[in-house]
Amino acid sequence: MNALAPTDAIVVDNVFKSFKKTSKRNEYTTMKSELVRLLKFQRRLLEPGTQIEALKGIDLRIPKGRTVGIIGRNGSGKSTLLKLMTGIYSPTSGTIEVKGRISALLELGAGFHPDFTGRENILINGIILGMSRGELKERMPGIIEFAELGDFIDEPVRTYSSGMFMRLAFAVATHVDPDVLIIDEILSVGDEHFNRKSQAKMNEFRRSGKTIVLVTHDLSTVQSWCDAAVWIDGGKVRMFGDAAQVVSDYRRAVAAAEAEGQKTGHSALDQPGLALPGSEAALQAQEPVGSVSAVRLKDGAGTAPKAFDPHAPLTIEVDWALREKAKVRFGLDLIGADGRLIFSTAQDGGERSGTGTTTLELKRLGLGGGVYELLLSAAGNGEPVKNPFRVALHVAPTEGVGLLRPELRWSL
Amino acid sequence: MIRNLTELYQYRALLIALSMRELKARYRASVLGFLWTFLNPTLNMLVYVLVFGMVLRSSVPNYAYYLFTGLLPWIFFSSSLMGGTSSISDRRDLLTKVRFPAQVLPATVVLTNLINFLLSLPLLLGLGLFFGVLPSWHIVFLVPVLLVQTFFTLALTYFFAALNVAFRDLQHIVTNLIQMAFFLTPVLWDLKSIPAIAGLTKEQTQELVMRVNPMASVVGSWRAIFYEQRVPDWQPLLTVAALSLVVMWISTWVFERRREEFAELV
Repeated sequence: MNALAPTDAIVVDNVFKSFKKTSKRNEYTTMKSELVRLLKFQRRLLEPGTQIEALKGIDLRIPKGRTVGIIGRNGSGKSTLLKLMTGIYSPTSGTIEVKGRISALLELGAGFHPDFTGRENILINGIILGMSRGELKERMPGIIEFAELGDFIDEPVRTYSSGMFMRLAFAVATHVDPDVLIIDEILSVGDEHFNRKSQAKMNEFRRSGKTIVLVTHDLSTVQSWCDAAVWIDGGKVRMFGDAAQVVSDYRRAVAAAEAEGQKTGHSALDQPGLALPGSEAALQAQEPVGSVSAVRLKDGAGTAPKAFDPHAPLTIEVDWALREKAKVRFGLDLIGADGRLIFSTAQDGGERSGTGTTTLELKRLGLGGGVYELLLSAAGNGEPVKNPFRVALHVAPTEGVGLLRPELRWSL
Repeated sequence: MIRNLTELYQYRALLIALSMRELKARYRASVLGFLWTFLNPTLNMLVYVLVFGMVLRSSVPNYAYYLFTGLLPWIFFSSSLMGGTSSISDRRDLLTKVRFPAQVLPATVVLTNLINFLLSLPLLLGLGLFFGVLPSWHIVFLVPVLLVQTFFTLALTYFFAALNVAFRDLQHIVTNLIQMAFFLTPVLWDLKSIPAIAGLTKEQTQELVMRVNPMASVVGSWRAIFYEQRVPDWQPLLTVAALSLVVMWISTWVFERRREEFAELV
């Protein structure tokens, strides 16, 4: 059905995955039960009660060269999806196609032997990860240098500190040179210095046009790193799209679920069908007076570019609605990719009713390149802001780094 | 079957690297290190010589050498099978974390034991010289006999390794079966010394042992090369080869059908 287009790196087509439930009493199938089954010529029965459906029909198309984050609650099926993409599991039904060499960083140091030296383990781990002996010989110096182990490289791995172990494992795994890199929650593997180094390595992957799929609970990583995000909920794709948008909707839904007093800690699989309540429904229950229904971002020319020029003006059009006649107060929060508040302002709008559009103009954007989040709110009669409208703001990169992009001039 | 074996060939770098690792790891922390490759079977042999050669007084001439010609291939067979049965079920670390060709694991065990066996062959020749037996040209038949035994061992190991993932009882059953098979195989005793039992003549009993136990034929072939110094009987050897093909065909079929659940069950 869904053929692999040349621009796709991974195509997941209607994938279901169920696991057999192994209860305490009958942990493994016994020889006797299997023999009886064989003698009766019975096929293994798939009773619905003894199955856990981890994925319930996933459709996903990950384009080449993109970095895609997978988010969702514990037990929503994220890791299962990664294992299916990697080929460790095979789907119960549906198909998964992956183009190119795939490398998975699901657990660092798989197959490391404690009694062997770092050098010997690089060799074996590298071959396990799919490198040839020749490639390994070539990359060995690079791996050793990256791991920064010094003389310890010729000591048995069991004498390593956990940080050294992780560094070595990370170094091997990232030198495989894959087309598709799959990462499960392992970006922080060392001290501050090594973290920066591994981040730089990841950036290098992105720049060289490799596809990265990563599962993480660190939402700010997704916002700052990923081009797109997938929100998996109860074994289904709840949302797939722009990373900032997906993250902000996910945050809203989690907040709404918490407000409803629902435990989000327990697994979505514990109670089948229990997904986070739709944020809209949950919010309506709280019935705020004022709300923002839509936000449009425009540059000076009145168009909406994919990334905004830091030197140009920004116009924000806010469509609001009031359930009753009330004193309205408009709010704007500007949030950085790390979740930090950069700027916040509010303006009283006087007594109004019904719906309307309010415009806020920034004379000059003045932000450094990157992804930001704008929170727009319209609160009535002094009610607290509960449901701001979140919209992602992409700012085009210019020379210089940081959050701020002042107008500047050198005198030389 | 063909696909499974060609895949194994594709992953030969992995297979060799893992086997080397096993060989190096086995004696790494010990003082005598690699010498244990020779010491283990020698000590094993000495125990049997003490019991069967000296206490029970076996009538076979050069009993220690006779025993050793059967014991070394038997160790190759039994260690492969015992180690191989749990080779997949023990490697959760590999199977659930990286994409890994599962059939490499039992093959690694067989290859490791094969190398160990080859390394201990000089020991066998040395023991022969000690008893005044010079190696003859019949040693060239080592190649076909070794091929048949390796193939047969690999086929059985595949089968048990694949099934043991779902039924862990198998590894205990296999250990006991192998011990039983050891005494049913003419390693300690001479096939010709077998008595007539249960209404069968002596020849019929011998025939029965050869029929039900493929390893009897294999051990017989090794004896022919090294102890009796003659051309091994080709008929029983061919039977084992044909049987190996059948077992391999069944094993790979079982293996392919079950490999998808390995990652979930280990």
